[in-house]
Amino acid sequence: MIEVHDLTKRFRDLVAVDAASFSARNGAITGLLGHNGAGKSTTLRILYGLLKADSGSARIDRIDVMAAPLKAQEVIGVMTDAHGLNPRLTAREHIEYFARLRRMDRARMKRRTDELIDLLDMQDIADRRAEGFSQGEKMKVCLSRSLVHDPQNLIMDEPTNGLDVMTTRSVRSILQALKAQNKCILLSSHIMQEISALCDEIIVIAEGRVLMQGSLADLAKRTGENDLEEAFMKITRSMT
Amino acid sequence: MMWLVITGKELKDAFRDRRALAALLLFPLMGPALIYFMFNMIIDIAEEAGAITLPVVGAEYAGDLVDYLEQNGITLEPVALATAGDAGSDFYSAEQLAEIRRDIRSRRHDFVLVIPPRFDSLVSRSRPVNVELHIESTRATASPKYGRIQELVQAWGRESAALRLVARGVSPDIIAPVNVVRIDVASQQSRVQSILGVVPFFVIMAAFVCGMGVAVDATAGERERKSLEPLLVNPVPRYIIVIGKWMSAVLFSAAGLTLVMLLNFFSLSQVPLEEVGIVFNIGSLEIIGILVTTLPLALLAPSIQIFVGIFAKSFKDAQAYLSFIMMLPMAPFFYNMFNTQDREFWMNFVPMLAQHMLLTDVVRGDTPAIADFMIAGVSALAYSLIFVYGASQLMKRERIIFS
Repeated sequence: MIEVHDLTKRFRDLVAVDAASFSARNGAITGLLGHNGAGKSTTLRILYGLLKADSGSARIDRIDVMAAPLKAQEVIGVMTDAHGLNPRLTAREHIEYFARLRRMDRARMKRRTDELIDLLDMQDIADRRAEGFSQGEKMKVCLSRSLVHDPQNLIMDEPTNGLDVMTTRSVRSILQALKAQNKCILLSSHIMQEISALCDEIIVIAEGRVLMQGSLADLAKRTGENDLEEAFMKITRSMT
Repeated sequence: MMWLVITGKELKDAFRDRRALAALLLFPLMGPALIYFMFNMIIDIAEEAGAITLPVVGAEYAGDLVDYLEQNGITLEPVALATAGDAGSDFYSAEQLAEIRRDIRSRRHDFVLVIPPRFDSLVSRSRPVNVELHIESTRATASPKYGRIQELVQAWGRESAALRLVARGVSPDIIAPVNVVRIDVASQQSRVQSILGVVPFFVIMAAFVCGMGVAVDATAGERERKSLEPLLVNPVPRYIIVIGKWMSAVLFSAAGLTLVMLLNFFSLSQVPLEEVGIVFNIGSLEIIGILVTTLPLALLAPSIQIFVGIFAKSFKDAQAYLSFIMMLPMAPFFYNMFNTQDREFWMNFVPMLAQHMLLTDVVRGDTPAIADFMIAGVSALAYSLIFVYGASQLMKRERIIFS
């Protein structure tokens, strides 16, 4: 469970996140929807402990991220915006490296790695070096290494960016399966279809401010628009 | 032992990286090869300059010149030509000259001095006379020898000229307005000593060169690949990550340094140093001494490279910065070249300078004080920890993580 209260982050003169408050519950997929530069990545980076907020609080499973970032990192899996694979390591080695960084013992690491390779259908690339992986293959490696410790919370920055239909669909079904296991999933996207197809909760964010949070049906009711795109336009326009 | 996980991964990566491996393996070979060739050259020159054998055609025609050459330590080897000359001629026939040419080309001789039959009679009448020095100018090893012959023949000529002038009542000083007197003070020993001075230089350089690829790849390379951010989302303190990366570079640096040293001493043991009167006795005790002296540098050099590497955005950036850092190991080398003062206590605290002085002592066969070892080692370790701490602080910066 992720709770954000009154979060603010400034970069010199720019207010990237402006008193944002929202929450993401267990057993649901929550989507952070906003334009490029709306503050989505900054918010997520504060949540996974790599940026310090200027004020406000962020708590993951009741752990204060600002006070105990390493403790909070224990209970989350993160897929960053940049894939950042090492071209000389194989897919399996990438997953195992993260397992070791999470202090998993050898037997559990081996078992979990095989499990993930099966789950994401990566048998053919498991022992190939990452050099020359396709976008979809890279994405699978990143997803599996962020899931290696079976985290209660999963934070994903633009997870389906640049993916083909097949991979997008398999990512979606994995997220649905995680949701069924009562995990908390928070992802960001600027793609309306993505959000409306996947998310139970939608957080509309613009210029660092949270404008609305609710289910697709809530948003439709409150804006009088059935289409998410129309609703989004209406919400963001009303701000100015 | 979380840092071991990081070190393990970096090492695995480095062993698959040809660039890093090349630095580890190629550099250590350079120094010993250089030392081997330089020493052998010096020893060859020393041996050969001492004894010159001069093949002469027509030695019997120039008794005075031949005596003069022998007095100056040249061994004459009269050459009897197989080809007969033209009967009664005062010149060598074309066939005879061709035979001399053949002998030189076939390496039977390196050079031949040819004295014409009328030599003495022309000289006694004060007529100019040509002697021919047949050489093969591409044969570099022979050049100091025939250079010496040419000098001696000319010197003999100057002496004869002086005598002629005196006989005519003219001072020979008139035709000798200036004389160059060359005095070579270098003994073979001092030449060898100065070359031994490059051993510490190579060992110190090795600490910097051998771990650099790994250090840069683990830091600037990580930023360039955008793999730093995914790494940092794992609950591992930054200083552990830095120590892990540092240690992987330290292992490369230490391995390279040890390799350089062993190869250097192996190549020194292959050179016949005793022929130039140098006693060079490096036993296992000295080798341990040198390792103890220089291993702290294998901690220091990578720590600087890790620090700079994190600061740099890309491989290219890092290499630009680090090429400046590569000047550091050269600094003490040059400082010592120009510095004539004795060592002072503060120098022990200056990394690289301290190690350089200790190494120079050890290579020369002196035993430095234990305190000097301790201070040099401990201060190098202290400096590395400062850089490691600095690198961990840098890794907390938002600007470094996200760009």
